[in-house]
Amino acid sequence: MSDLTFALVIAGLTVVTLVTRSSFLILGDRFSLPERIRHGLRYAPACALAALILPQLVLADQALNVSLLNPRLDAAVIAIIAMRATGNMLAAMCAGMAAFVLLRAVL
Amino acid sequence: MQPTDRFTALFGRSVALAQVRRAAFVDGMRSFTPALIATAPWALVTGVATVRMLLHLGRALAMTSFVFAGSAQLAALPLITAGAPVWVILLTATIVNLRFVIFSAGLQPYFRHLSLGRRLLLGYLISDFGYLLALRRWGSAVQRKPASTEQIWFFFGMSFANWVTWQTMSIIGILMADRIPPSWGMEFIGVLALITLVVPSLTDAPSIVGVLVAAAVAVFARGLPLKLSVLAAVLAGVAAAIGTEVARERRGRSS
Repeated sequence: MSDLTFALVIAGLTVVTLVTRSSFLILGDRFSLPERIRHGLRYAPACALAALILPQLVLADQALNVSLLNPRLDAAVIAIIAMRATGNMLAAMCAGMAAFVLLRAVL
Repeated sequence: MQPTDRFTALFGRSVALAQVRRAAFVDGMRSFTPALIATAPWALVTGVATVRMLLHLGRALAMTSFVFAGSAQLAALPLITAGAPVWVILLTATIVNLRFVIFSAGLQPYFRHLSLGRRLLLGYLISDFGYLLALRRWGSAVQRKPASTEQIWFFFGMSFANWVTWQTMSIIGILMADRIPPSWGMEFIGVLALITLVVPSLTDAPSIVGVLVAAAVAVFARGLPLKLSVLAAVLAGVAAAIGTEVARERRGRSS
């Protein structure tokens, strides 16, 4: 790819990033979503993160692995429980990482 | 120049306004700290991948600096390497970025009164975590009215912290790519950080149902091209959450 084409691609990608992220914001006052949907959109970021998380737990070795013998899945469950119990992010991450290292050695 | 003058120059017309903005901005940066644990490894991994695919330091740095979008960047890289047509690369990045269209729809009621320039800046800086943490703090109380000065500068502070961390870690990844072994388990630390960010949001039935549905759809729709599985998961998750809300309200009314 020539320097000119690459510069064009970078410029295009920058515009794409700006336009997708700002899409509804560009419309400003000229548009408003129905109340129900607007209210429901506050669930969107947690859903997006969940959609990024689960595949990394159960599809890490290409094939679907939903079992107690999957150390990533077990470690994630332990991190969730630790987060619920302590409310402390660092503690939950340490618990999850410790479980992961331990289970990967054992299983 | 007096320190107060410097504040005023940076943050606003009057000293009082500058102080309000500055306090909110710093509060935003501080509140975002936990999310940085998730951003940092992800940015590092993206930086390493970028320079390994492009094999060109200058190009990798240029791409990271302007294209502020991890997943779109990772999707575009193999196409750039393969010399795909420009429109194919841009279309792919657009589709991968579609989940941000949903986020911008969610934030539009808060920012709609701002000037176009400010809306574009805040939009460009939207991140999954920024949106999540902003709505968790604001609740649904301000759903109908535009965000206050404090709220806008709080959001800007969070976004700024995210942007600085993303760029710094990406650049470190690009410069140190040779010295970072691929199997550091860095990704799993990132995944754990994401989990701890999501768990506090699971406060009621609609949010729990939404997250479970989204996670399941992401796995079952994994065969879809262009990361469309993430978009499908978000749409399905939000629909399921709204459905649960409606069902609860109906039950509440009949009992």
